[in-house]
Amino acid sequence: MDEKQLRCLVALQDIDIMIQETEGEQKLGFKTEGINKLKATREELTEKIEKPLFRRYELLRQHYKRAVVPVQDNTCLGCFVKLPTSLTTRGKENIEVYTCENCGRILYWLD
Amino acid sequence: MDFQEFTSYFHPNLFITELKAETKDEALEEIVGVLSEHKGLKDKWLILEMLKRRENLGSTGIGHGIAIPHGRSLSIKEMFVAFARSVDGIPYDSIDDEPVHLIFMIVAPPHEHNQNYLPFLGKLVEILKEEGNREQLAKCENFDQLIDILAGGF
Ligand SMILES: [Zn+2]
Repeated sequence: MDEKQLRCLVALQDIDIMIQETEGEQKLGFKTEGINKLKATREELTEKIEKPLFRRYELLRQHYKRAVVPVQDNTCLGCFVKLPTSLTTRGKENIEVYTCENCGRILYWLD
Repeated sequence: MDFQEFTSYFHPNLFITELKAETKDEALEEIVGVLSEHKGLKDKWLILEMLKRRENLGSTGIGHGIAIPHGRSLSIKEMFVAFARSVDGIPYDSIDDEPVHLIFMIVAPPHEHNQNYLPFLGKLVEILKEEGNREQLAKCENFDQLIDILAGGF
């Protein structure tokens, strides 16, 4: 997966969490008419992400609040399970997508 | 969320009896200033920007003279609430167009383990819906009184 796809996916997740939280605020009685702008930005981002990757993200989102999580000290920060070393010594080539073997979340590295 | 947990997010240093601010932006800046001094933050403008962005989504002035500016920021590690009062009132583009006299500012980190942000917000809104609580808060002079009034909501 190239860096740009990953960046879009992380940005999409940020917006999704923001939309979700804003909808929670709406129920509490806050004015949030600007949520439509967030939703429009979400649509734009969605178009930049390859369909299979986007579908995988949407599926994961039904199970987890965060479908895309960083890796730190060889550990998936979604489920806190250590990753096998074969996965953590990654090269620079375009490998389609890394997922955690334990929880299935999409992984990214904070370089 | 129980009373103890609810009040753990407040702090005596984050209690402002009389805001000098006359506008919404000034008020946000003044409160964030107090906060960054208390927490020793270097990048207070990040929090300020975040709060202003949230206001652009829709004013957090919920009516009856109350505003609850809030949002998440990488600049802080744990959620906190600041309380501020303006006797003269601040124009805030509120739901009922009334000036704001009481401000509760909430800033939370992007990732929280206990996910207390929305439940906290909900409990605060519930307490502020009671007219009696609002009247008492308008008169409250110190931090202990603030906590006493909030205790009435539990
Ligand atoms: Zn995992």
